[in-house]
Amino acid sequence: MSGPPLDLVGRSGTDPRSASAWGRRQELLTNLRAIRGRAYPRYRGMVREKSWLLFEILLPFLSTAAFVFVYRALKAPEQYVGFVVMGGAMTAFWINVIWMMANQLYWEKSQGNLELYFAAPIHFMSILLGMALGGMVMSTTRAAAVLIIATAIFGVSFDVRDWFLVFAVFLTTLAALYSLGMVLASFFLVWGREAFHLGQFFVEPVYFVSGLNFPVARLGLIGALSVGLIPLATGLDAMRQLVFSGATFPIGTPSPAVELGILVVMAVLATVLARWMLASMQARARRDGRLTVRWQ
Amino acid sequence: MSAIGEVGVLGERSPSDHRGEGLRSFATAVRLGWQMEANWTDPLLFFIYSVAKPVASALILVVMLQVVGGDASLRYRSFVIIGTALWSVVISGVAGLAWAVLDDRERYRMLKYVYVSPSDFIVVLLGRGVARLGVGAAGAVITLVIGVVALGVPFDPGRVDWPVLLVATGLGLLSIVALGLLMAAVCLQTRQESWSYPDAFAGALYLISGAVFPLAILPGPVQAIGLAMPLTWWIEAFRRALDPANPSSIGGPGSLFQAVTGQVAPGNAEVLIALLATGALVTLAAAGVFRLSSRRAKELGLLDRTTGS
Repeated sequence: MSGPPLDLVGRSGTDPRSASAWGRRQELLTNLRAIRGRAYPRYRGMVREKSWLLFEILLPFLSTAAFVFVYRALKAPEQYVGFVVMGGAMTAFWINVIWMMANQLYWEKSQGNLELYFAAPIHFMSILLGMALGGMVMSTTRAAAVLIIATAIFGVSFDVRDWFLVFAVFLTTLAALYSLGMVLASFFLVWGREAFHLGQFFVEPVYFVSGLNFPVARLGLIGALSVGLIPLATGLDAMRQLVFSGATFPIGTPSPAVELGILVVMAVLATVLARWMLASMQARARRDGRLTVRWQ
Repeated sequence: MSAIGEVGVLGERSPSDHRGEGLRSFATAVRLGWQMEANWTDPLLFFIYSVAKPVASALILVVMLQVVGGDASLRYRSFVIIGTALWSVVISGVAGLAWAVLDDRERYRMLKYVYVSPSDFIVVLLGRGVARLGVGAAGAVITLVIGVVALGVPFDPGRVDWPVLLVATGLGLLSIVALGLLMAAVCLQTRQESWSYPDAFAGALYLISGAVFPLAILPGPVQAIGLAMPLTWWIEAFRRALDPANPSSIGGPGSLFQAVTGQVAPGNAEVLIALLATGALVTLAAAGVFRLSSRRAKELGLLDRTTGS
């Protein structure tokens, strides 16, 4: 009783189950496509929305400039102007991590995309990685613009002695920041409207404890804790020491090499934690029926 | 016949009916805005979230002053704390209306229904914006209290110029709402990414309003733009009403104000008149821009166009 041969749409296999099984290569390629697909609207949006240039580059630069003028009004040493400019540039990444990584899953839930992500044959980390890569491109453009404009206008002079370490610290800071963003994103999976308020809570207070406009070691114990826990604080402090080599920093400031080590540990731990958190928060959100609950 | 007659009678509304409806719409929108802001958590947590931002902003500046040290840092401590506290009202006021547009269009998808409802669109938006303005004002008050109690801001109720404080506060809040309307008009035209626009706009105003440093340090043309902004005069009026010993953010050596008027700093009456005049101009401009923007949004079908990123 053998019937007509099964049409498996060009796939290899003897039955539908074996034909639908994905190989490692296909799985990898699909996840890579998902990463590219999720990153696409981030960098493409920069070109499509012209108002972005004004609101995301020029106006934040003016906000940074305000802090420069505070130091100028106080007749502070010029090195502090450089500190503010570096801080202003790095805030682009933090803002992106908070609003376009951590908070993003809450928006996706509200828009009805979240269930599509979960239903798609991809690992959810691919979505987060795509958001992170697209966000990095976006934020790097903004940070570079702030840095270049501010340097030109305020005459900031850099004194870099170890370019390799500068790039290593910068890239590791991004890795640690966006890994932290993935951890936060998993929290935001189960949160409702508090997500937005928590996002707000993570901006100015984190700027303060990270030493946005001054060396973080000035904050004593709080500063030390920040360097150990917040990638923005660690990366910013290390970058400042590396690009303003001649500047004086308070006693107790860890060396850039030590801070690079801290950043590496942060990046690794946060990535592992993000994977675990995502799975556990996803399970919890499924159990509580919160994955598709909107606007609460 | 009688039914048609009744419909005709129902359709005719007196101006007092319109006013009553407008007030009802406004009150409902304020209540809705407040509920959306506050009913997701308990009051203590809401309070912590509301004050964290302005207090942290003030602390950033206080540490900046400490880092530099010297006489100037002592003189400017009260100056920057008052400026930062007031700025939390500006941020929440400017963002309030713009986010009401974005919330309703992008998140709740209700903007089109609000637009076609019998309530005036602008009245509903104003109501929603006022609720957020109230949260910002609470944050400002708490920051000022912390400034007085813990950060050394001098406060003597007997020295406060209460009439100037009240008039300036009223005019200042109206100007902030007008700026918020302007941002709402912008957000009607832009996509979801515009969540950060109000903050960016407020950040730019921060530079030219004398909130945390005197305008005299800026180049002349930038000072002129600052003097055209009502926020500059509002902050100046508020500071001098609270403590006349505060340095002026408008006048002072090297300032455009001194170069033009020959005076070191403006008097109270001048500050209030300038606040009234610039506030009226900004309000008129904002109303005009909003009208144009909402008309364009309707013509191009932007009211229900949601975007992703």
